[in-house]
Amino acid sequence: MSNATDPVLDVLDCPVDQVPDGREFVEAAMRWHFDPQTGSPFWLKRAENLDFDPLTDVHTFADLRLFPNVVNEFRDVRVEDLVPKGYGSRPEVIGVFESGGTTGPPKLVVLLADWMDRLMHHHNRLMDEHGYPRVANWLSLGPSGPHIFGELIRQQVRRRGGFRFSVDLDPRWVKKLISENRLDEAGRYAEHLIDQSAYALRTQDIGVLVTTPPLLVRLSRRDELVALINEKVRVIVWAGAHLDPDTRALLRDEVFPDVKIIGNYGSTMIMGSVSERTGLDDDDPCVFDPFSPYISFSVVDPETRREVPYGERGQVVMHHLSKNLLLPNNLERDTALRVQPPPGQLGDAVADVAPLAVFEDERVIEGVY
Amino acid sequence: MAALMSTLSTEPIRLDALGPSGPYRTRKHVTVPDLTGNPVAELSLVPRLYVQRTMAALHRARPMPPGERAKALARAGRLFATGPVNGLSAEHYQRLVSRVCGMPISVVRAATDAIARSAAQAYGSTQYARPNGAVTDWRDPITRDGRALWTRRGDVFAVHAAGNHPAVHTLWLEAVALGYRVAVRPSRREPFTPHRLITALREAGFGDDQVVFLPTDHAVADDIIRDADLAMVYGGEDVVSKYGRNTNVLPQGPGRSKILIAEEDWTPHLDVVVDSVSSQGGTACVNTTAVFVAGDPRPLGEAVAERLSAIPSLPPEDDGAVLPAQSLANARAVEKYLFDHVGDAEILLGGGGIVDDLGDGIGVLRPAVMRVDRADAPQTGIELSFPCVWVAPWSYDDGIGPLKDTLVLTAITGDEGLIDRLMAEPTIGNVYVGDHPTHWMAPWVPHDRYLAEFLMRTKGVIRD
Repeated sequence: MSNATDPVLDVLDCPVDQVPDGREFVEAAMRWHFDPQTGSPFWLKRAENLDFDPLTDVHTFADLRLFPNVVNEFRDVRVEDLVPKGYGSRPEVIGVFESGGTTGPPKLVVLLADWMDRLMHHHNRLMDEHGYPRVANWLSLGPSGPHIFGELIRQQVRRRGGFRFSVDLDPRWVKKLISENRLDEAGRYAEHLIDQSAYALRTQDIGVLVTTPPLLVRLSRRDELVALINEKVRVIVWAGAHLDPDTRALLRDEVFPDVKIIGNYGSTMIMGSVSERTGLDDDDPCVFDPFSPYISFSVVDPETRREVPYGERGQVVMHHLSKNLLLPNNLERDTALRVQPPPGQLGDAVADVAPLAVFEDERVIEGVY
Repeated sequence: MAALMSTLSTEPIRLDALGPSGPYRTRKHVTVPDLTGNPVAELSLVPRLYVQRTMAALHRARPMPPGERAKALARAGRLFATGPVNGLSAEHYQRLVSRVCGMPISVVRAATDAIARSAAQAYGSTQYARPNGAVTDWRDPITRDGRALWTRRGDVFAVHAAGNHPAVHTLWLEAVALGYRVAVRPSRREPFTPHRLITALREAGFGDDQVVFLPTDHAVADDIIRDADLAMVYGGEDVVSKYGRNTNVLPQGPGRSKILIAEEDWTPHLDVVVDSVSSQGGTACVNTTAVFVAGDPRPLGEAVAERLSAIPSLPPEDDGAVLPAQSLANARAVEKYLFDHVGDAEILLGGGGIVDDLGDGIGVLRPAVMRVDRADAPQTGIELSFPCVWVAPWSYDDGIGPLKDTLVLTAITGDEGLIDRLMAEPTIGNVYVGDHPTHWMAPWVPHDRYLAEFLMRTKGVIRD
């Protein structure tokens, strides 16, 4: 790093295997993102409408609460305006990634190489702790395209070795089919994906399978594929959707008893994902620790937006804070149990992530049934 | 009695799923409250993956021989009605159902006996549906000359059950008798009856992979149907329109049972009308929803109203209770629904309100009688789960149009031409001529066609 003497960059660009101090990191990030020389055009302009001064008022993780949730402004922003000026005129761009588009037009982020390296270092360390094979072929059965899901796998395989096979899922098309109540078509599309994954599972030495819980459940309908996975695959990684604790236990104990099953929890808007905590017992809920200080969570009461007590369920708020991006206070459509994070981590760990409850009322007045 | 009271006051009962490897307790569950809102049970809700694996296990399982099935069914029925099942006495079970559904305890007791009888007769009942030309075993010597064999249309039968009345669970026992492996998705409102019945079937000799109890949330419910060969689904118009074109699904839709009194003097038939409206708490699909009477319907309506108004409001667990109860909020919702839909009808009984607040958050649904002024008034199709009846004028000029879309029609007439037309009308399920209440049933008489007509087919067989 050419500017290694800059105290802000000392913190933001610290070696990937070091964890910066929380307060120092928050202050450095504020200086970077709100300095007219280094901040992104988006934030420099947005700062004019903040009712506080990020440079003087924001020092700690708790102070991030001052920021409004600006995530909806990421739907129509020019991507050039999202890149901090401090990266210069030729930043190394990994890609533009888009949210699923469940709640309107997609939200955009620009992912830069230094962040990807930092994230991958973290992932690699956790994969080793989880006992992922070092050189194995991967099969990705999930979204590629504008979504971050496929890119993260591509980057992981590039660093860990092995070949990557992929079957592409277009989640927006599935959502559209479901919203139009064309469930048969959605089912046919999912079967089409499973059909494609079968080729790789039959003919290749797949050691790691990455997919979404609904596809994993659907895949479990095929005895042949279940047998192939139990025979060949060492780790199944699930991500991109929720996995309820009952299904998780059935997958682990009955369907894939010979395979390690690991969850990842992430989002395009935190530009990455975090992995299931290592060393959990079978009866523990699936806990996700933050990648502090970069990716962090809060679990809050949806009404008051204050943290719920540890062990209680609340709505998940995601924060991303790095040299690449500032995006705090993004209220997700997820709930989770609030769990104490490991010492020194910012925010909360989350467990047993579930969709926001949909009120279900089977009661119908007319008729006798 | 002291022992009973102490059991009633304990922690909520756990109602686990009953799967192909025995009971399955999920982390996810839903609380089943009684009418006062007290939790009485925690019902496991199984995920999609469990449904898939269970249905696959049912397809793999082989049925027991017919004779053993019949005997085990009879044993299960006796156990259901008399024994402790899962540590729950029959009395305790009946009180639970009454407390949770608000159904009069006497109706629950009668339904318990009906389930035991149906279980004992299930195999025999199915034989009434067997075509004359069909035999039940290919080994029958007569097949050497060429014959029809009566055989299942599939192996696995799914039921989306209703919670309005325990006796809805008599019907699928015929599928068990015919060798189907059966998956029952209970109503959340009343899961106790199918749980008890399936537990009893297992204790009586049916393997865990023969009959399963699969409580699920709404999102997974259709998976049970998709993975079955045939299914039966209870519900309203929505269910009928959703599955009406699917030849593998038998909807059990609205009953809209009716009485036609084509004679001027209705007075000798008043008992049948009152009984048809109010028996079983008015909660069954075979309870009368509308009465059509030659001439002015008002005197009949007023007489029915007078009789029904004499029924006391009692807690459902009272031996003398006749009327159904609901939580006060639900009872008020029913009342509002009725008043919102009464339209131009004249309310002869219940106009001041149909809910009697018993305290403790329980409301008794008191009878309602409404008069409409023409036979084709749309209100006569509004079927509500309490004694609620519409009386309408009818004349020969109205024809049988207003009598269509009916599960049971009691026709009080001597006019054979009219009876011919009613018998021929495809949208009328059953026609009872004379003073027979619409809720009359017998094992040899179909309820809504014989279920076995749907479950079975004939197959041509000849052999050397």
